Amino acid sequence: MNDALVIEVVRKTVTVDCAVEEAFRIFTTDAMNWWPVATHSIHGTVSEIVFEPHVGGEVYEVAESGERGHWATVLEWEPPSRLVLAWNILDRGDVTEVEVRFLAADGQTRVELEHRGWENVELDAPTKRGDYDEGWGVVLGKYVDRTG
Amino acid sequence: MQTNGHPLDALGDPTRRQIFELLRSGPRSVGELAAGLPVSRPAVSQHLRVLEDVGLVTHHRSGTRNLYELDSAGVETLRDWVDGFWSEALARFKDVAEKASRTGGSS
Repeated sequence: MNDALVIEVVRKTVTVDCAVEEAFRIFTTDAMNWWPVATHSIHGTVSEIVFEPHVGGEVYEVAESGERGHWATVLEWEPPSRLVLAWNILDRGDVTEVEVRFLAADGQTRVELEHRGWENVELDAPTKRGDYDEGWGVVLGKYVDRTG
Repeated sequence: MQTNGHPLDALGDPTRRQIFELLRSGPRSVGELAAGLPVSRPAVSQHLRVLEDVGLVTHHRSGTRNLYELDSAGVETLRDWVDGFWSEALARFKDVAEKASRTGGSS
């Protein structure tokens, strides 16, 4: 089971009919309006999603209780064209990377997203953090709620 | 509970999730797993079979016992799940960005 796994990078592209600045702004300051929080958040109901706009900043959700849920750390912040986040996956830590590029294309914006670093997600190597339930438990609970 | 063969559905069961988490600290036998859980050995075996069917767990024989362990290929399941997530999220993002742009940027 220790064979090196080559797992394909997740790549998504979407062309949005708006200016690059607007696309970047909506992505980073208006996630509450588009992020599928019901199925893809730590708390399930979220009152705020924050992208701290600088390198080393944190991306987090704020639950209705006021509690924060950590999503990512900002590795690169180049508005309005690019950002790179160290993405927390299932509470295994910020081991994957999400890069989003915003490219001008004839008055529209081509948004290219890459989610990579799957080789760093070691399901079989415990991190001894003692909070595993926050990982699979919560995330899969949401998934099951949605599909069940 | 019937599983439809999707790994994430298999982990929707709390006992299976516990087994999954126990296996994260290393290979275990059915007996070892059952000792740490409020369910019988046959029940643990049955849960292991479901986890194995969907590719999250694998087993091998060590002397006279079967040892169960996580199948590292399970990461691919997670990757595929995230792939689907970003498709959904970006489609919603596109809608919101275009709407905001049409109404003059207010949101």
